[in-house]
Amino acid sequence: MNLLDAPRGTPLRIVDLAGGESVRRRLMALGFHKGDVVELDGQAILRGPMLVRNCTSDTTVALGRGVAQKILVEAVHEPV
Amino acid sequence: MSRSEVPAVIFIGQPNSGKSTLFNSIAGNKAETSNFPGTSIKHTHSRVNIEGRLLDVVDLPGTYSLCSSDPAERVVLTHLFAEKPDLVVNVVDASTLSRGLELTLELVELGYPTVVALNMVDVAERKGIELDAAGAERLLGVPVVPTIAAHGRGVRELLDRAFEVIDKGQSLKPVRFSDDVETEVAAVERSLPSGFPVISNPRFTAVKLIETAGHACGDFLGEVEPALREAVDRALKAIEKDRGAPAYEVISAERHHLAMKLAEETSRVLHGKRMTWDKKIDAVLMHPFLGYVILAAVFLAFFVIIFEVGSPLETLLLGPFSRLREALAAGLGDGLLFHLAEGLIQGVGGGVAIVLPYFLPLLLLMSALEDTGYLARAGFLLDAFMHRIGLHGKSVSPFILGFGCNVPAIVSTRILESQRDRILTSLLIPFIPCSARTTIVLALIAFYLGPFWAMGFYAVNILIVALVGWAVSRFMKEPSPGLILEIPSLKAPRPGAIVRKTWLQIVSFVKFAWPILIGGSLLLSLLSYFRADRVINDVLAPLVVKGLGLPHELGVTLVFGFLRKELSLIMMLQALGVDYQNLMTVISREQIVVFTVFISFFIPCLSTFVIMWKEIGKKWAFLSVGLSIGVALALSWAVRLVL
Repeated sequence: MNLLDAPRGTPLRIVDLAGGESVRRRLMALGFHKGDVVELDGQAILRGPMLVRNCTSDTTVALGRGVAQKILVEAVHEPV
Repeated sequence: MSRSEVPAVIFIGQPNSGKSTLFNSIAGNKAETSNFPGTSIKHTHSRVNIEGRLLDVVDLPGTYSLCSSDPAERVVLTHLFAEKPDLVVNVVDASTLSRGLELTLELVELGYPTVVALNMVDVAERKGIELDAAGAERLLGVPVVPTIAAHGRGVRELLDRAFEVIDKGQSLKPVRFSDDVETEVAAVERSLPSGFPVISNPRFTAVKLIETAGHACGDFLGEVEPALREAVDRALKAIEKDRGAPAYEVISAERHHLAMKLAEETSRVLHGKRMTWDKKIDAVLMHPFLGYVILAAVFLAFFVIIFEVGSPLETLLLGPFSRLREALAAGLGDGLLFHLAEGLIQGVGGGVAIVLPYFLPLLLLMSALEDTGYLARAGFLLDAFMHRIGLHGKSVSPFILGFGCNVPAIVSTRILESQRDRILTSLLIPFIPCSARTTIVLALIAFYLGPFWAMGFYAVNILIVALVGWAVSRFMKEPSPGLILEIPSLKAPRPGAIVRKTWLQIVSFVKFAWPILIGGSLLLSLLSYFRADRVINDVLAPLVVKGLGLPHELGVTLVFGFLRKELSLIMMLQALGVDYQNLMTVISREQIVVFTVFISFFIPCLSTFVIMWKEIGKKWAFLSVGLSIGVALALSWAVRLVL
């Protein structure tokens, strides 16, 4: 599933970063890589951006829906 | 020490790492801001004397990595690579250690003498993380000094270690990637022809060639060095085949994992659960309902404070200038000398008493909002609305700045990554009512027609911004890459840092705007001395009288309006020959509204025009003028029809 469909407040592992090279480079520069565990912290109204927290580096970014859609995740069951 | 006697020290770090705070506490208030040659990207530099030793310190804009596709960040890198500083001070946010270390690892690969400032250790402590600076120092091979820049803690030690490195030198050993990647890096390294412009060392150059293939220097490499191009291509293919991902991603992931490992080995989580108060505050600040209530309250308070502080201050400051003018009028008569003196007084007075009272509180509050991290949150909240006009949340802070003054607002569009977003935002900013225009609206519409009219004017104005944005973005379809905006952790505002930042901004504004204000005022005085205002009125009569239905005498105020919007208010009274209280005896309510609307929109003021030219180019600056004239005419006619 991509980040748009993911549940809030539970740990998610990034399976893949799809999308164009520039977006992927930008995400990686901000510390988001395949294999990282992230959490959805919130969402703005009116199909606004999602608030995504990287649990490893404890950084938070706001991602537009177009970008969030490109991030494929799976639920993490074991404790991190 | 390289070329000069004074060692050059470059500060580099990721955005929000507290780099500038640390820089300012070392560089002091004498720091100057200047552009990189040929660009509009700024760096701050200063020569400091630390216990008798001189240092040239340079603060570069924040950068996430040394391999950036972001145009602003790339200029930073070019500077770093070309300058070969005697020392790099890498500022790392200790509370987000593992990400910060990715840049540190790159700097170690780069191999210039480096010292790491592990900054904001207090924030890390609050999060329950204990850091082992000595351990990090051992693993990285560079001095690591814990600091709290906001309180000046650790700065002394940092400087001691810095001098130690400058004096004794330092040899760095890059942390190795996995063997398969290292093999490919070594292959490219071997293919570097002699005389190739190596950046710092062959290994770093090889890594960057692989990482940036297709970007930066990758493009023309094939023409100049076909053999090297081939070697790079081979490495790219080999890595991609082995790992099933593009080489840039593999190398970035290698560094990411090295950094995570380093962070794990050098930090200890003290209490399992993080302190959650800032998480709780954030949940409210970015709440889908409460967040907007707070945002509205913040904006309202913002403007109330600016005008509560600004207008009394303005009255206070304008007094001496008008008394001086009267004294001169009595002493000098009505000659050329008086007109020149009057122009000078008006220019200086305008600069001091009209711009600063609004500008200063605005900049202070803006810095405070930015410093605490609230602006990023406003960007998050308003992103959805900005999408309607073809932009995204990052444009929110330039727009907010625009309410104070359009000039710094246009400068601040530099934070936007895409050129298209910069241009679109810069084209919209002149439609935002800046404090000068707000003065006119308050003085004319609120005073003569009532506060509700003024609020209506504002509402229509914001609607206009949205409409123009929507319309212009139809013609600039190039898809915006979408919002990727870091939300830095909330911080308590630090008065010292805010004041210093405001000071730097004021100085650079004054340097830019005052010559224009004073020159413009002198020119206008000459015009009125030689009675050129009549000619101007006659030339503009078709527009002013026929088009807008305004008195003939108001033509000249448009020229003043181009120089400084708020001048047109004073000139209007002068041109009509009445004082403020008796305005309604010579002009109707409808004419007041038409005049205000037209003056507000008809053209960006001269300073805005100049800065736009400088920032996004002549073509767009002129387009903005055309756009403004069109909108102003359409609106004025609409007002005449309705009223």
